[in-house]
Amino acid sequence: MSTLLVALLGVMLLPLFLGKWRMSLFGLACQGLLLGWLAVEGHAEPPDAEGWLRLVDLVVVRGLLAPGLLYVVMRSRDSAARHDVIPPNLLSWTLAGALVLGAFTFAEGLVPEAGDARLQAGVATAGLLLAFFVLGSQSSTFGQMVGALRFENALALFELGAPEPEQPIWLRAGLLVVFLVTVGFLVHYLETLGPETPPTAPTDAPEGPTL
Amino acid sequence: MTALVLLALPLAAALALASVTLKRGVMLAMSSVALACTVLAATQLATATEAKLLAPWARLDDTARLFLFVVDGIYLGVASYVWNRVHTTPSLESEGRRFAVLSLVFLSATNAVMMANHLVVQWLALEATTLAIAPLVIRPGVTAARQASWRYLLFSSIGLGLVLLGLSCVSRGAGDGAHGWFLDALPTPEGTWGRLGLALVVLGLGTKLGLAPMYSWLPETYDEAPPAVTALLGAVQFNAALVMLLRVVQAWRPTGGALLTGLLLAMGLGSVLVSTASLIATRNLKRLLAYASINHAGVIAIGLGVGRGASYGVLLYVLSNAYIKAILFLTAGKMKSYYRTKDTARIQGLIRDLPYSGVFLMVGTFALLGFPPFGSFFGELLILSALGGSGQTLIFAALCVLATMSFVATGRTVFPMIWGEPKQTDTWPRQTLRSVSPKLLFLVALIALGLYVPPAMEGLLKAVAATLEARQ
Repeated sequence: MSTLLVALLGVMLLPLFLGKWRMSLFGLACQGLLLGWLAVEGHAEPPDAEGWLRLVDLVVVRGLLAPGLLYVVMRSRDSAARHDVIPPNLLSWTLAGALVLGAFTFAEGLVPEAGDARLQAGVATAGLLLAFFVLGSQSSTFGQMVGALRFENALALFELGAPEPEQPIWLRAGLLVVFLVTVGFLVHYLETLGPETPPTAPTDAPEGPTL
Repeated sequence: MTALVLLALPLAAALALASVTLKRGVMLAMSSVALACTVLAATQLATATEAKLLAPWARLDDTARLFLFVVDGIYLGVASYVWNRVHTTPSLESEGRRFAVLSLVFLSATNAVMMANHLVVQWLALEATTLAIAPLVIRPGVTAARQASWRYLLFSSIGLGLVLLGLSCVSRGAGDGAHGWFLDALPTPEGTWGRLGLALVVLGLGTKLGLAPMYSWLPETYDEAPPAVTALLGAVQFNAALVMLLRVVQAWRPTGGALLTGLLLAMGLGSVLVSTASLIATRNLKRLLAYASINHAGVIAIGLGVGRGASYGVLLYVLSNAYIKAILFLTAGKMKSYYRTKDTARIQGLIRDLPYSGVFLMVGTFALLGFPPFGSFFGELLILSALGGSGQTLIFAALCVLATMSFVATGRTVFPMIWGEPKQTDTWPRQTLRSVSPKLLFLVALIALGLYVPPAMEGLLKAVAATLEARQ
């Protein structure tokens, strides 16, 4: 489990420094696949129906569908290869490193015993803080989408570590449907707004009637 | 049965309207469903029926009954407004159809939020309201509106994600995971995980309510969305998110009271502070109303944070606010379509140009500013008095100063628009009674909340207030 968590931290961190949109999407895909691996790790018996649904969520939707669809849109728009999701300078890189260190220090307070649980809390917190860093430093549509998906993945890692309360399968299915619809919206907005922040007309430009 | 109808009727109507190509009758269908839901919700005010068919996932307790009546009634008013808009402007027909389908899904999801007896089900329903209304923020051909819609979805997803993360942390704090998320058997937010979870839940719901620090989506979205959609966002969805916060306060006040109080007071005061500064600076009417909404959300958060003694005032303030926002946002839409500008400095003489709109803006602004005899006045008075009595002197003083500043800032911008000398000489078709009837009904409800609250409503207000203060 520790190796998987370290690998997950790696795919959360590395794409930030490489500044290409393909690397950002590849990083998201790797996060989804690693989360799926973490979900089955240590379970000898095959997953039940809820477990399968969780795997579909992590592997198919987060790992393949969401990054895949965004990739198709970015390709179709012939986007420039370079697309930094954090400012490409020493200050940002240092800040990203500091956030990871801060996350692990915070996790020590949350989980006093050293071990996988603490590492998982640390990686999830780091994922969350890095997602907020991306969201906070981005005004482009694509960058904000990457930040939002990073946030969702960090959330999924937190949930993997929490005890699972009793809840019916339709509730998990509902959560999956909501995430799928959200991904659909992301694709729509990326198609219509484009990866960069579009120029907007002056506030008082003449418009047609509205409801 | 009632609960099932409130959920299924709007959803079935939305599916029917989406799948059948009706040339006429779309608006009639939407308004009829809204009327049926409002009547059904009204019958629940005096006598409650149990949500047996959906038990244990739904319940029609006092909180649900009170807010169902208010939000379904406001939806009915907005639906009538849209019907009239489509009737008088045939080019809006396809937009009206899209509005009918998505807003009925929104109504069904909102009713589900009100009645949910399970936090995750409530979360799902709240997310569904977001997904249903986000496309309605878009105005065809207006990039800024599309961007606002995206930012609204982004902030809502992050806010609701924080709520889910908070629940996950509370679950971890509870240990074994043997609990569920039913409202009457929630785990206690104990230890570091529990407190962190509770803080994240409140922060996430605060984002959805437009509270500081994550409020920046609200002015942009309210400004860019069509007026009918802004009214739904401000008066209906706001209350859906608030009901979820009320559920959290009802359940966790006894164990996490100090943390809840601290968080709500900090977020509330922060919101009043930033919105007051923005109210002073803005010259855009819809943004001014949006900042006033943030200001009011801040006052509500402060009232909820104080708890003891303030809860009745908070509820009175919340209900008045719902009607104020509905009146003012619909009026702002009318004004924009006439003057073709949102710049407050370029609008003057409204009372002569558009007499009905002038009266609505005037009365709405008086209510917004907390003048008597409106419910907002009594609500704010009760909140301030409870705040003073609770020993929070600094917050009391800060709120008084900020309220005075926002009072002056709003008044100095809005009143010249109403009474100044008209700048435009265009003729404008006379406003018919039908076109203003939704706002007229909201106005009657708003005044009633200040002068005479019917006994059934009064009983519900007291009962809900008691649940917010119980076991402190």
